[in-house]
Amino acid sequence: MSVKIAYSTNTSSKEASQEIKEKFSNENNLKLVLFFASSNYDPNEIAAEMQNNFSSLKTFGCTTSGELISGLMLKNSIVAMAFSDDLIEDFSVEVLDDLNKKDAVDLAFKNFESHYESKMQEMDFKKYVGLTLIDGLSLAEEKIIDRIGDLTNIPFVGGSTGDDLKFTKTHVFYNGKAFSNSAILALLKPKVDFDIIKTQSFKALDKKLIPTKINSETRTVYEFNNIPAVKAYTDLIGIDINDASKYFMHHPLGLMANDEPFVRSPQQTKDDAMVFYCNVSENMELSLLESGNIVDDTKRDLDLANQKRKIKSMINFNCILRTLELEAKDQTEAYGKVFEDIPTIGFSTYGEQYLGHINQTSTILVFY
Amino acid sequence: MAGQIKNLVEQIIKVRCNGNPTLINPTKIKLILKGINPDKFNDESEDDPIIIGKLQTIIKDLNLVIEI
Repeated sequence: MSVKIAYSTNTSSKEASQEIKEKFSNENNLKLVLFFASSNYDPNEIAAEMQNNFSSLKTFGCTTSGELISGLMLKNSIVAMAFSDDLIEDFSVEVLDDLNKKDAVDLAFKNFESHYESKMQEMDFKKYVGLTLIDGLSLAEEKIIDRIGDLTNIPFVGGSTGDDLKFTKTHVFYNGKAFSNSAILALLKPKVDFDIIKTQSFKALDKKLIPTKINSETRTVYEFNNIPAVKAYTDLIGIDINDASKYFMHHPLGLMANDEPFVRSPQQTKDDAMVFYCNVSENMELSLLESGNIVDDTKRDLDLANQKRKIKSMINFNCILRTLELEAKDQTEAYGKVFEDIPTIGFSTYGEQYLGHINQTSTILVFY
Repeated sequence: MAGQIKNLVEQIIKVRCNGNPTLINPTKIKLILKGINPDKFNDESEDDPIIIGKLQTIIKDLNLVIEI
């Protein structure tokens, strides 16, 4: 046993947590429990109940906009993965409870260094992996993941916490408590090999936009190519200026790195400007993307990884915009089936992290 | 003057990766996400002070020691 997974759709925090515990009850070498819960549970209750039910273990997790478990895409549920001591040699979890604090990541990293008795810059990036769960309403993801990347070569992967599309408040959970406007960084030392899959379903068209007037704090682009942003975007696609938002999901923009897009998804128009779900920099060349088939492309990327070595378990941080597209195309069942044979948990995120903060992507931590 | 940007980018990648080829691609991607695409600069690229300033900030943030 390396991981055990379970879910509950019981709407009571207490009963749902007990149900999860019962499903894990035959395992006696558990070390750590990761869980993703709908924001429709009371955050303080679900955090406390999960910790109460696993009192000898550490529990951590976050709120979602939909949950994933092998074979299923769920709503209003809780999904959990318990890691056994034959998968995880050691772990350390840090809560960043003030995302405005400039040195929040640096302080967390100092605690990791104390725990592992090694400098983050000197740790073997093949032996450690980090998880990020960052408040999806904080607009802080770029600063956090960028600083992580400055301080270490250890890969960190994760997602932005959700609140079932209410866009009011999200939470992370650790050790029985719920925190808002916060993030969790977890540094795992697995006993097994691992990898990160980043999958998105887009091809880059030979059409570019360069942001020339922006506000990076609010993720707003006022002008592309010195033209009002909405006009530049709609002209590029060849559509009426009033129809811009209808094309956002199908035609986001991508920062290309080695022919692979790091997707920047438009969220809304504000007068002539466009607001994005993640940051774009001035003079950063962005390609117009065109969406494909999420189920086929995810399956292809998983099959590729599986061909190298058999994946034993995985954690999937799946963008809510992908979930909405899957729902619109009636493909949620097919998407769930892609992970049917692999012990998996995940959630629908407000953004994904791997090397940077991205959108309309699945970032997946796989264990071999 | 030209070529200083390419030189700085190469130095950043070399020092950060410390001879490990597996780290080259993620390091390049991190630079691209910071707004510096290593493949866009060559020996003829003009020494743009704004981009050089950005690279010096990156060197400081990454805590690298680079001979300029």
